[in-house]
Amino acid sequence: MAATVTRRRVLPRVKNRIFLLLVIFSNTFGNCLLAMGMQRMPDFLGTPFSRYLLFLITNPWMLSGTALLALWLFSQLSMFTWADLSYVLPVTASGYMVTALLSKFVLDEHISALRWAGIVVITFGSMLVSQTPMRTKAEWRERDR
Amino acid sequence: MTWLWVILSVVSGTLGDVFSARGMSMRGEIVDFRLGGLARVLHYIVTHRLVMLGIGCNALSFGSFLAVLSLAPLSFAVPATALNFILKTLLAKWYLREDVSWHRWAGVALVAAGILMISF
Repeated sequence: MAATVTRRRVLPRVKNRIFLLLVIFSNTFGNCLLAMGMQRMPDFLGTPFSRYLLFLITNPWMLSGTALLALWLFSQLSMFTWADLSYVLPVTASGYMVTALLSKFVLDEHISALRWAGIVVITFGSMLVSQTPMRTKAEWRERDR
Repeated sequence: MTWLWVILSVVSGTLGDVFSARGMSMRGEIVDFRLGGLARVLHYIVTHRLVMLGIGCNALSFGSFLAVLSLAPLSFAVPATALNFILKTLLAKWYLREDVSWHRWAGVALVAAGILMISF
């Protein structure tokens, strides 16, 4: 009996953490792959449209980036079946930190001090929201009882 | 003209997430993560009108955000996404009837402030 109760309390939290990581990393790595893919695309205005389209759908960076963004959409929509919108969005905003790290170390972009400060502020905001209950709707509270 | 695209991007992005969240919360919590269970979730997503409306609104928001980027610098376009967080939280409280505590509001305000800071 006690094991069942513990399992019922622990499993949702583990599932939630796994999906948070999935949402954050699929979005940031997906965007990073798309950015890398766009750097390898020919000039849009100087290339016939059909040829540009062919480059686009055969570019492995663009394809893998698109697949990761599809995974991001699916995992975020899945989270809405057990967590509040006002919980999911700010908590997954901590992905800005991952994006900044990828921009700096993978794409070799310059990030100013003010931008780093902004990323730290976003991360604090995300951490603050992550301390609140993930589901607060009255209908869910009834179901949880 | 640029402001019209900004308003379209913010409004459609906000409605997109709110409709998607409403549609998905009507389904009930996902507990079956086997291939068949995930296929049923995918089937629910592509056949549920509110969820598809939400995805359509988000696509419109993305398209209008690209239009803003083509007309104005990134530092003008990005603060709009900060406004998105505030509007989505307001609608989560009023339309989705979520209990948004001051603790959660403070976190949302910090996220929005941080987005404003990274746009400079």
